[in-house]
Amino acid sequence: MHVCTGCSCLCDDIDLKIENGRISRAYNACRRGAGIFLNISSSRAKPTIDGQQVDLERALQKAQEIIQDSENLAIYGLDTTTLEAQRLAIELAEKKEAFIDDNSTFCLGDFVEMILKKEIPSTTLEEVKNNAYVLFYWGTDPYHSLSRHLSKFTYYPRGGKRQRGYEEDRFLVVIDIRKTHTAKLAKKNARFLKAENDADIIRGFIDALEGRSPKIFQKEIPRILKEMEKGGFNVIFGGLGLKYGLGGDYALLKEMIERMNERSEVYFMPAGCHPNMRGFNELLFEKTGHVNRYSFREKRSSDDFAFHRLLKNDSADTALIIGSDPLNSLPLEYAGKLSEINTIVIDPRETFTGRVAKVTIPSALSGVESGGTMIGADGSRIELNPVFEAEINDEYILKKLLEVV
Amino acid sequence: MPITPMEVYKLLPKTNCKKCGEQTCMAFAFKVINREKQIEECSPLFEEKKYANQKEKLLELLEPLKEATETGLIVDEERCTGCANCIVVCPVHASEDPYGSGSGYGPKIEDPIYRLEDGVLKIINVKKCRRYGKNRILCVACRENCPSDAISFLEG
Repeated sequence: MHVCTGCSCLCDDIDLKIENGRISRAYNACRRGAGIFLNISSSRAKPTIDGQQVDLERALQKAQEIIQDSENLAIYGLDTTTLEAQRLAIELAEKKEAFIDDNSTFCLGDFVEMILKKEIPSTTLEEVKNNAYVLFYWGTDPYHSLSRHLSKFTYYPRGGKRQRGYEEDRFLVVIDIRKTHTAKLAKKNARFLKAENDADIIRGFIDALEGRSPKIFQKEIPRILKEMEKGGFNVIFGGLGLKYGLGGDYALLKEMIERMNERSEVYFMPAGCHPNMRGFNELLFEKTGHVNRYSFREKRSSDDFAFHRLLKNDSADTALIIGSDPLNSLPLEYAGKLSEINTIVIDPRETFTGRVAKVTIPSALSGVESGGTMIGADGSRIELNPVFEAEINDEYILKKLLEVV
Repeated sequence: MPITPMEVYKLLPKTNCKKCGEQTCMAFAFKVINREKQIEECSPLFEEKKYANQKEKLLELLEPLKEATETGLIVDEERCTGCANCIVVCPVHASEDPYGSGSGYGPKIEDPIYRLEDGVLKIINVKKCRRYGKNRILCVACRENCPSDAISFLEG
């Protein structure tokens, strides 16, 4: 059994058929997961300096020189690599007094931070499978972002106290701005609330909890609360829709969860993130008390230290990007600046950022070619079981870069 | 796309001649869709010239019957994303493989009805399905829980 590193589910029941040293079949993985295992040899990165292919030693040496000469280093990415590599990257940032950031700044880092600071209660997916009754999917479409979330962990599986299947033992609530594929599943014993404004729905829940009639969804909200009391163990999966819907002000959300907990157990979990985003958040939190956007020189976290802001304000002279493609995912006005500064890309595959980078160093695919540990979105640690063992992986490369600082 | 008995009936001779052994053309239409009768058993349709047009349309309409499995199940792999809702929700899987697909994991039995292969749904053993055989139940649990409509049944 292998672990899929396609998303934060980290499914650990993947079966592979290996013929002549190649993966020929992937069983139990979703479309995205199977793609990672079956296409390991396509668009692999090559070591380059200024776009010219060189040997690996030369590329590593050049990267070491750039890191050595850099005054304002920014380290970014890291969400698809292992805890072991992330630890080395944080050590490198500390020694170089660098900026360090990952995708959680614009992904679900805020939710992870609230959970790590124990401002909202959270639980694990195993507990959800065994106990949960009402399941909220708020601002997230797991059918696309976390394909096996509903079937492996939450709505459909039978386990523990919930043995009678989804029709009797689960109650699904989908809150989204449009009728998503996940919302289509909200049929019998389920509700779909079309959200115009997330804060209004939260206020509706708070009103109902205080005994007032909610201003919207007058029928649905009291029914959902009644089901929550009946179930005793309920979970809210919050996605990017909820984060951006609330615009950074989570006081209402915290109040709602606190109020709900007076009547029945309600937990909150982030849904929809990179495989090891929570791992990076936890490591940085242990070290600094912040989950992302951190400057080791100023010893504080700030919006100004978010990677796109560093690029916008020309605060960094060197960028070390590990397992991410900002030129693909960030707006061009920021990411375009990566071609003006010294950029080093460590990635197993060819990326757009790699094309404009000064140095690219090919690495191994975590989970397929290199082992280690990752932390899923629920905070559980999962040991990877790689198919092959590549010598040159993120850990090896980061150790090499650490040698010169 | 599912085929309804009414669509088949409309293209039959509608004479209730009983040559096929059924009492009515409507009953014959039902059995054609359930693969209990072959369309060729309607002899007037094939022998009499006035039905030639209808016959061609009908054969075209019944083309998907050849692709479908014995239970009338069709899986459109293009639409499938491999969410495995159908595998976990299947009542047969739940009873025969409670610690595998019944609990959300990949199937642990040798011959499940469905399995994810290379990221999409593959039919492995349709004989286990509750829709198979004489005492079948028209179960639609897998189709009902497929948000992208990748699973369909011939009779709709």
